[in-house]
Amino acid sequence: MTGEVIYEVKNVSKRYGSVVALDGASLKLHAGEVLGLVGDNGAGKSTLVKVLSGAHQPNGGKIYLDGVERTWGSPREALEAGVETLYQDSGLAPHLTVSQNVFLGREKTVKGIFGKMGFLARKEMEHDAHEDLERVGIAVPASDRPVSQLSGGQRQAVAIGRAVAWARRVIILDEPTNHLGARQAGEVLQVVRAAKAKGLGVIFISHTLPHVLEVTDRVVVLRLGKIVMDAPTSEFDGDRLIGVLTGTIQTVRVEGD
Amino acid sequence: MTNSNQTTTRKPGIPAEQKPVPLALTARISTLASNQSTILIGVMVLLIVVFSVLEPKFFSALTASNILTDWGSVVLIAVGQTFVVISGGIDLSVGAIIGLSGVVSAWTMANVLKVDQTVSGSDASGPLFIGTLVSVGVGLLVGLTNAFLINKLRIVPFIATLSTMGAALGLSVIISSGQPIGSANNFDLIAAMDPKTNPLSWALIVVIVVVTIAGLFLHKARFGLYTYAIGSNTFAARGAGINVERHLTLVYALSGALAGLAGMYVYLRLGAGSPSSGTGRELDAIAAVVIGGASLMGGIGRIWGTVLGALILFTVQSGLIMVGVAPDWKKVVVAILIAAAVAAQTLQSKNGRK
Repeated sequence: MTGEVIYEVKNVSKRYGSVVALDGASLKLHAGEVLGLVGDNGAGKSTLVKVLSGAHQPNGGKIYLDGVERTWGSPREALEAGVETLYQDSGLAPHLTVSQNVFLGREKTVKGIFGKMGFLARKEMEHDAHEDLERVGIAVPASDRPVSQLSGGQRQAVAIGRAVAWARRVIILDEPTNHLGARQAGEVLQVVRAAKAKGLGVIFISHTLPHVLEVTDRVVVLRLGKIVMDAPTSEFDGDRLIGVLTGTIQTVRVEGD
Repeated sequence: MTNSNQTTTRKPGIPAEQKPVPLALTARISTLASNQSTILIGVMVLLIVVFSVLEPKFFSALTASNILTDWGSVVLIAVGQTFVVISGGIDLSVGAIIGLSGVVSAWTMANVLKVDQTVSGSDASGPLFIGTLVSVGVGLLVGLTNAFLINKLRIVPFIATLSTMGAALGLSVIISSGQPIGSANNFDLIAAMDPKTNPLSWALIVVIVVVTIAGLFLHKARFGLYTYAIGSNTFAARGAGINVERHLTLVYALSGALAGLAGMYVYLRLGAGSPSSGTGRELDAIAAVVIGGASLMGGIGRIWGTVLGALILFTVQSGLIMVGVAPDWKKVVVAILIAAAVAAQTLQSKNGRK
């Protein structure tokens, strides 16, 4: 079902001044696997996401992509290596069109000297953006419409579709179902499955535990900067997950494999 | 636990009934941008009609060419300001750059190139070319200083460019001892700036070409796309891998360089580099940009709007003077126009978001 380990962090730590946000966290992500990352507010989730996406450099520990040790100087480096991140509520530029957002940072230019000067192949990108989104199961009315005219659900669908369309190895989704209605959230979970079917490793961060239980293969629980549990999703139900999250259920840390 | 079976087994895609905005309204909003220029042209025509009725002499080629010549001195900094405003910033230093770059350029031509009143005709083109380079270079330096203050020292653009504005004003007074430096009064090119003899001067043609190129880069090229992206959502731009600091450096450098070019234009008009020649021009530029429909919140704006905004600004100014309003009222009128344009925008976006 799931393939080889594609993304791995070993014993990473991150301090902000005297605050230890992440304390020796390790996890492994396999190809075609959806890994749920949960934890209460301040548990270190967003710090771990920032380390995984290259936004922050850890103070200690190692990062491996396809078995090769990597250090990310910037999100761009992680992006170019195939690690795509969808940040919470902030993936898109509202004044830009759907296709401009889908291609932002990876624009197609016209041929020849004008292309070298950065002149854009707008029609081609509008066409391709539509196709890319359709391929991952998102039907957006028109890719030349500004994102500000889309509903919250449509925006999130475009953001996640963009990430899935571009991701080559790993996709990190930070609260992708936040503020969405049940049906819209269902669409997003469907796209997560499309990413998994594509053979990507998916890291799914969410507060909405039913979504985590529904879509993930494995769940990693963070508490106070430490990973306190790492187990197949089948070992959890809602009550047990909340218990581990809040610390009312004591756990022995489970190693990844 | 799984309560959304019926949603997950459905075919993916966004159902039609989920579209939040009725089509008639979205169509209206999407044509708003193109309507913007229609409105501006309408305002322009209305102004011409009103002033021509009040003062028949207003409707003449001389007035048109006077307005165009004034327009040339502000549209360059207004175009630079358009990039800055779309990126979510503001550049208050552009007026002071006009003074400083004009003074430094005039000083260089007079003292380094030894150009004096006896030089004329084709002898002047070499020094003027070097003078233009110096002028643009001075603007570029101030622009890079702005970028340094904003990116490295994390000073908000308003304060960063306010302080370089003060510094540039001070420096131009120091260099010129407060007096205009007139190195080359009888250059043919300067004579060619007089609207009476030459309605479409060389300098104006250069301005139009530069504005057109800037417009193409804003609306058709990656440079413009990144400018909009940063002003629209800096975080998303960063997430897409855009080097935000580097891009903002280019934007402020562009604004500075265009202000330097405007400094040369004003030098040609006056026949001298005067430290006060650009004072208050930053307000004209901001007025042109907001009349043109750009949002000071970033992410919105068009070159064509700015071009028309600057035209409206000078049509109003010269119209008022011709119908007999004292020139001292000019600044008051500019201030009212800025306030009116921003108020109109706010009302418009409130209606649009409904």
